[in-house]
Amino acid sequence: MMKPHTHHHAHSAAPASLDRRRWLQRSGAGLATALGAGTVGNLLLGAKPAHAADYKALVCIFLYGGNDGMNTIVPTDAGRYNQYAAVRKGLALPRESLVNLSGINYGLHPALAGLAPAWRDGTLAPVFNVGTQTRPMSKAEYRASIGIAGALPDNLFSHSDQQTQWEAGTSSSFTRTGWGGRASEALNTVNPVISVGGSTRFGQTDQQSPLVLPAHPGETFGAQLLMPQDMTWQPRIDRKAILEQLYAQSQDLALAEAYGKVQHNAFVVSERLTNLVKIAPGSPGASAVIDAAFAPIMSGSSITTELGNQLYQVAKLIYGNATVQGSRQIFFTQMDNFDTHAGQVITGSPTEGNHARLLKELGDALGCFNTAMKNLGLGDAVTAFTQSDFGRTFVPNTTNGTDHGWGSHHLVVGGAVKGGTSYGLYPDLTLGGQNDIGVESWEMHGRWLPSTSMEQYAGTLLGWFGVNDTQARQILPNLARYGVTKLGFV
Amino acid sequence: MRVDRGSFSRVSNAGGPQGHRPVTAAALLLSLVLGACGGGSGTGSSGAGTSAGVSGSTGASALATGNTATASDSTASADGAVAAAAAAVTTGTGSVALMAPGTANQPRPTTVGDAVRLADQGSFGPTEASIVDIQAKGASAWLISQMIMPQASHYTSGGDGTIHQTTKEGVAFCEGREPDCWRDRFSAEPLLWDFYRNAVKKPDQLRQRVAFALQQILVINNTDVQGTYGFRNYYNTFLDNAFGNYRDVLRKVTLSPIMGDFLNNVNNLAEAPNENYARELLQLFSIGPCKLNADGSLVNGQCEATYSNETVRNYAYALTGWTFPAGGSNGYGCFPGGTNCRYYGGDMVPVARYHDNQPRALLSNVTLPAGHTASDALEKVLDSVMNHPNIAPFIAKRLIQHLVSSNPTPAYVQRVATAFRTGRYGDFGRDHTGDLDATVAAVLLDSEARGETVSRNAGKLREPVLMFTGVLRALNGQTDGDALSWWWGKRLRQHMFRPPSVFNYFPPNNPVAGTDLNGPEFAIHEASTALERLNFLTYLIEWEGSSPNPAIPNATGTTIDLSPFMVDINDSTKLVDRFSTLLLGRPLQGAARTSVIDAVAWWNLDRAGVNWQKCRVKSAVYMILASPQYQVQR
Repeated sequence: MMKPHTHHHAHSAAPASLDRRRWLQRSGAGLATALGAGTVGNLLLGAKPAHAADYKALVCIFLYGGNDGMNTIVPTDAGRYNQYAAVRKGLALPRESLVNLSGINYGLHPALAGLAPAWRDGTLAPVFNVGTQTRPMSKAEYRASIGIAGALPDNLFSHSDQQTQWEAGTSSSFTRTGWGGRASEALNTVNPVISVGGSTRFGQTDQQSPLVLPAHPGETFGAQLLMPQDMTWQPRIDRKAILEQLYAQSQDLALAEAYGKVQHNAFVVSERLTNLVKIAPGSPGASAVIDAAFAPIMSGSSITTELGNQLYQVAKLIYGNATVQGSRQIFFTQMDNFDTHAGQVITGSPTEGNHARLLKELGDALGCFNTAMKNLGLGDAVTAFTQSDFGRTFVPNTTNGTDHGWGSHHLVVGGAVKGGTSYGLYPDLTLGGQNDIGVESWEMHGRWLPSTSMEQYAGTLLGWFGVNDTQARQILPNLARYGVTKLGFV
Repeated sequence: MRVDRGSFSRVSNAGGPQGHRPVTAAALLLSLVLGACGGGSGTGSSGAGTSAGVSGSTGASALATGNTATASDSTASADGAVAAAAAAVTTGTGSVALMAPGTANQPRPTTVGDAVRLADQGSFGPTEASIVDIQAKGASAWLISQMIMPQASHYTSGGDGTIHQTTKEGVAFCEGREPDCWRDRFSAEPLLWDFYRNAVKKPDQLRQRVAFALQQILVINNTDVQGTYGFRNYYNTFLDNAFGNYRDVLRKVTLSPIMGDFLNNVNNLAEAPNENYARELLQLFSIGPCKLNADGSLVNGQCEATYSNETVRNYAYALTGWTFPAGGSNGYGCFPGGTNCRYYGGDMVPVARYHDNQPRALLSNVTLPAGHTASDALEKVLDSVMNHPNIAPFIAKRLIQHLVSSNPTPAYVQRVATAFRTGRYGDFGRDHTGDLDATVAAVLLDSEARGETVSRNAGKLREPVLMFTGVLRALNGQTDGDALSWWWGKRLRQHMFRPPSVFNYFPPNNPVAGTDLNGPEFAIHEASTALERLNFLTYLIEWEGSSPNPAIPNATGTTIDLSPFMVDINDSTKLVDRFSTLLLGRPLQGAARTSVIDAVAWWNLDRAGVNWQKCRVKSAVYMILASPQYQVQR
């Protein structure tokens, strides 16, 4: 299946690498620079960090497995709620349990109570029925496109393909780079995409991988006996120098050279960021403002959830911008296990179960993060957004769960977000109707034909981030097929 | 389920319901107050005593010492030819083209370089003895010896099926039981111990490597399902059938009750079938989602779907109607009616009333007529995928990627695919599609895997598990697996039996930045894990690993034995080249070789005290193991 990337799909050109030579020079300078202006000492408790006046950060929260958008946000007007409850049956959330979104006829899953303050502040916006897509298409056009290679996104209901496409910003599973990476290149950011959620294609460019940092505050990030403080004894100095020599040498295997580059880069990055990465709640250099904002999800001085830890790290890296450097930064975080084929709810108690547990982790962590940014005076500078493989079937299965869908609902949070209203088009809930891709009786499960493409969603975020229209169309090739390229939620 | 990036650890899943022991408590470090080599002050104090004695023996007996530690995995005879080759290995000056006597029908002698390469491809890593053995036999005869030797590796550790034979309602099985109840009876940890012990020591190396490859294609994990005896049955399937037929492997996997829980095909009812297993069977376990040419390339250079949603649905229907084998019980009965309670002690059994018996169209012109049984349907499902033109290149490429190279040429894929499809490669195979003897022989004997000329696109990054085993085997080490589990396995994002999802630790297609190449293992290789690779080497070599943890049955800790190498400490060049030969099959390339030799020679009595000899050995082996030449196997 893997082939040298010489063929392109008919429907989507490979996205261009912008200003590649400049990017290589610039990124080399940025990464090779030692601590520079910032040191741990500058990160005084409570002090407002010195950011560039127009600092902006995008924070991606990828929900792997396919988040069930239909139980994430639910219509509350009687007509549609009754339709929802009739189809969702045992999975239907009771209307009174929903977190009311005042001003619009929707409510959030009760587990997302952590986002209620953001709604009240006008800094939360739901975006409905977003999905991968090659171009705008009606249900009839979709049906006519089935089986025609390249007419639809590759392998629509496959986790691996859809994750790749959301990260890549294309409808091809063979795109080697990510839209976060390409946007960073276009804007010549000091750092590549920074991930605290492991490796990700989202942050990849042709020449560079994302900068992956530990997910947990306090984690050691460095090579033992080879850190700057170890360079006081000849054997250590020799060993470090030899490793660098080994990494810099040309090799007979291309993969060995690539390995050497990753290793060398790790040394450079760890020397610059190891102290910042180590800061944990309450430790020297920690921000009292950030710690206070995350207190609701702490136990002792540990943050109790995985996403909570990751967003704490991001908050710290945003706050520590003097060390991290750069006026534009994209971050990547993630959660897993959203593939709720079974056990999505507990029988008889739909507000509980696996999905509730996952959404609570999401809502609480994101709520704390948002509070931290707001209290740091950086609310307007930071926008967080969800992504996910796909939504799930509106009709449940027989194992208290749902199967793979397509269009889903996403959440955008931040001071610059124009909250208090919804964006995109909520689907018509009729099974087999205009939004349900199913036609035969056995396939009317409410898999939604997206009314907003992933590219329009990403393009809106990038527009706020500072990418111009020409750049946006190069980063997101399918965007050129849409009349509306910015949805207005930020 | 997250696909594209590594085993990203989740705190909430750590160690199961009881929570897990902190990893540092589980692994006691030897020489914690470092000996002279590791100490930061460099005063040359003798520090803690060394655990390995100094051998003053000659080259031949040094090899014999090495042999003792690894005798069980080598069938090298004691004849003169072997000893001559052995002497050549241990006293080698870094020359690659050593001429081994070989067997009469060996067309050309196997060089040290090729022997090391084959050891990396078909075993868990070379030892000085196994290099001699491979050179003596040649690749083909070595392969034969591996395929005909009796199976030595099985999963045997851990609790039994009584976890699913309770009568008490609402009481967790482990309540009131021994503290390690969850670990020993529900988790895959006991299998991890077996895996690492077998990998480092047992002679059926190739069988184990093939099984390791198969379990990374047909994936389950201990984060989503539990039941130690269920895991044993599942993973023993791969060991038992490594040299059998892929169809049998697929059948056993499909009928595995623990797989049934993992991908929801147990008690999957005809009225509204769950599509999870059907989809992954097609996408990951057999044909893949895009049509392939015989050489693994995309038909017409783009993804033409091999199946539609409707097809997935038909397969889901076809696979309905299986329940747990009999033998389980609980306090409240088995549901739905007519099924068996959860039990993993055998294959799933059919339940006719839950099997959809409508006519269904499968792939490859295979159809199910009305009235078929679950067993009929299963065989037809297997027919349809085994006869599909995709399966041969799809599985061929996976096996090549797990054993030999991340970027095989299309021609190589095609040769291996042909072996899979015809069931024959030279003298190997039984002429049935899916024959694994033929396929594995094709993978390992192909000119792209053998041969002195290696393309720039060859090789693969040593995945963490293979680095652990490779280092331990080469350095006469031993392990009970404990330190490689929640500690190093997790840190390096490859915790055995705990891949994050059915998509394994890393995906088969992963672009390597700065190249046009694919590198699956690079998906878990980034700034953090890059440094942790070095930290693992520091742990094992400088800190000398871990002493036995009494909480592990038959604990041995994780240690290496460098004493066979002490004989060469007076000649830094010889020492460095000896390690290079063993670990790389050739000298360290470039100017770095001289730097390493000089750094090794730096150590002497004045600077490091009585441990200076050991420090030389440690420093030499560390740097060679840390080199890109080692970390990316050729």
